[in-house]
Amino acid sequence: MNDSLDPRINRLKLNKTDDPCKVEEGENWNVFEVFHQEKRGAHHEHVGCVHAPDAGLALVFAKEQFGRRKKCVNLWVVRSADILAFDVEDEDMFANNLEKTYRDASGFKVMEKINKFKAQAKPANDK
Amino acid sequence: MLLNQLIKELITKMGDDELIIGHRNSEWTGLGPIMEEDIAFSSMAQDKIGHSWALYRILHEELGGEDPDQFAFMRSEKEFKCCHLTEMPIGSYDFSLMRHFLFDHAETVRYNSMLQSSFLPLQQLARKVRGELKYHTLHADAWIIQLCRAGEESYLKMQTALDNCFQLACGIFEAGPDDKLLADEKVYPGEEALYGQWIENIYPVLVKASLNVPERKEPVYGGRYGKHTAYLQPLLNEMGEVFRLNPEATW
Amino acid sequence: MYGGGYIFEEPNRVQQREEQLHDDPEKLAAFEMRIANGEKIEPGDWMPAEYRRQLIRLIEQHAHSEVIGALPEGTWITRAPGFKRKLALIAKVQDEIGHGQLLYNAAETLGKSREAMINDLLSGKSKYSNVFNYPAETWADVTVIGFLIDAAAIVNQVANAKGSYGPYCRALERICYEESFHLKQGHDAFIELATGTPGQKAMLQDALNRWWQPIMHFFGPPDKVSGHSEKLMQWKVKMASNDDMRNQFLEAYVPKIRELGLTLPDPLLNKNEETGRWEYSDPDWDLFFEVIKGNGPCNKERLDVRKWAEEHGRWIRKALMKEGTFEKKAMPVA
Repeated sequence: MNDSLDPRINRLKLNKTDDPCKVEEGENWNVFEVFHQEKRGAHHEHVGCVHAPDAGLALVFAKEQFGRRKKCVNLWVVRSADILAFDVEDEDMFANNLEKTYRDASGFKVMEKINKFKAQAKPANDK
Repeated sequence: MLLNQLIKELITKMGDDELIIGHRNSEWTGLGPIMEEDIAFSSMAQDKIGHSWALYRILHEELGGEDPDQFAFMRSEKEFKCCHLTEMPIGSYDFSLMRHFLFDHAETVRYNSMLQSSFLPLQQLARKVRGELKYHTLHADAWIIQLCRAGEESYLKMQTALDNCFQLACGIFEAGPDDKLLADEKVYPGEEALYGQWIENIYPVLVKASLNVPERKEPVYGGRYGKHTAYLQPLLNEMGEVFRLNPEATW
Repeated sequence: MYGGGYIFEEPNRVQQREEQLHDDPEKLAAFEMRIANGEKIEPGDWMPAEYRRQLIRLIEQHAHSEVIGALPEGTWITRAPGFKRKLALIAKVQDEIGHGQLLYNAAETLGKSREAMINDLLSGKSKYSNVFNYPAETWADVTVIGFLIDAAAIVNQVANAKGSYGPYCRALERICYEESFHLKQGHDAFIELATGTPGQKAMLQDALNRWWQPIMHFFGPPDKVSGHSEKLMQWKVKMASNDDMRNQFLEAYVPKIRELGLTLPDPLLNKNEETGRWEYSDPDWDLFFEVIKGNGPCNKERLDVRKWAEEHGRWIRKALMKEGTFEKKAMPVA
């Protein structure tokens, strides 16, 4: 076989055999979820995950995989296994949120009441 | 030797170190032991090449040197002032990691010593790269400690890598033609002072990793005066291969 | 960055169709309704077995293409001319590994581990974009890849980003953002040669001639022979047909090549103003399938290099696999 066109590859002295190469399950370590903070005062937001042997290296890896381009001032990592989430089927628990207007500012028509009062009060003041 | 000439020599050797080790480390891009590390190591290789570019720009803009691309890719081997540590092939990852650890601590010590340099362009550059170097040493320390605590095979590899790298790394601190003048003029404290600080910084990490620190017995010198290993010339040929097709053209 | 438009087929499709019949019809209807309404599917959702399988295959192949795609350009990292090109190239190749990382994570949410995907790549069971089985012979090849292969990949990825699977769409969103840098730096380096010395221009024309057929192959065989993508289109796994994407690419980029005074090695390549579609000579599809089978100029080297990387990194990965830690390995959550 001819040498590679890649001088880097020629330096590697590839093992040119058809022997199988297998990666063992777990060899790519644990998964950590990554949260980044774009600027001081902002929430940390989920941006993805990294594979790492522990939280320390997860942070080292996350810095380059998720903080090498855009603005970033801080990162969190947490083991994916430690994330507790609702089942997606439980989405219906949140279904009526928008109907419960008593929890929402838009559910209270203050100006309407004031205007009504003013409209009623006016004739009395005129006297 | 005039002060300006000494500053030129200093910046040239710094830039050459970073250019060559940056190229070496970039050979791992796409071939790293795991994807996440591939990305991290590649970023640091880019930083190194970026630092050499910044240093050559100082030569060009402040000290009448050549255009940085010409300077980096057209010089002959003899004109290069990099130390032998940076020239060695990438070997296996233990060697590359250990070289990265030793070199980046040395680089940190050097730039930190220039935070008060009387030569302002160096002072400014030292401020600019401080954050990057902090990450580089954090990364290096984390790896060295982890791998030394991860079983005997891994520990032995790291000890061997340290033994193989150490005399070469001492060569980073080969004295310049007149370090005393540079120190008196407060450009930087000189190689021997940097060496002392470097040992002080790496020692606690190596102890934490339970590694035996070799003594400085036969530091590998010569690079600063244009004497190089057989590995440099082929790399220089490669680095300039396209550029030399037509150095007048823009690429 | 390199989503080869073509999802390579596996032989056991009959069995898959049978499994498909066992999907709960009520759940299937709800699932399809959700997609029809433009909602995204998330990792914990019920999904048809065939949807899961096809998505894993698609995302995995995309991820492999990134990782292998890093090699032909990686060839030129040490040789790239001048600081600016050199740094841009390392950053770009680095992004490709980064994209592979994001995509493997997205595929892992569907239940296949990164290790299993890497093993399928190394054994040849799982494919990657054919275009990376060709060598990058000169610096001009790097600019052709950086400009045109990236452009083709973007056509594909922008389409896929509108697909139905949430984690894949999120990964693609970030990938497409970074791709804009890739395309720009590729175009810039391409223009530099096209407008440079006669030697530079000849080098570029030569590379363009060599790469044109692999580029025409990039989106996969013509629709008339590709077939059976109706279901995948309905499920928004495949977002546009091979021919439509190829046409979109030609429409956008042939003028950008020709405006620089370069030619393309296909006398029939022409836009039919009546139909609004591009016409071209059929690239050699037999060759395409030969290369998929592993008989391209670089298939062997690409996999050998990946094996080298996996083998030389093994001691590090194994050393840090602490006892017990990996028994309950979790997949990415989103």
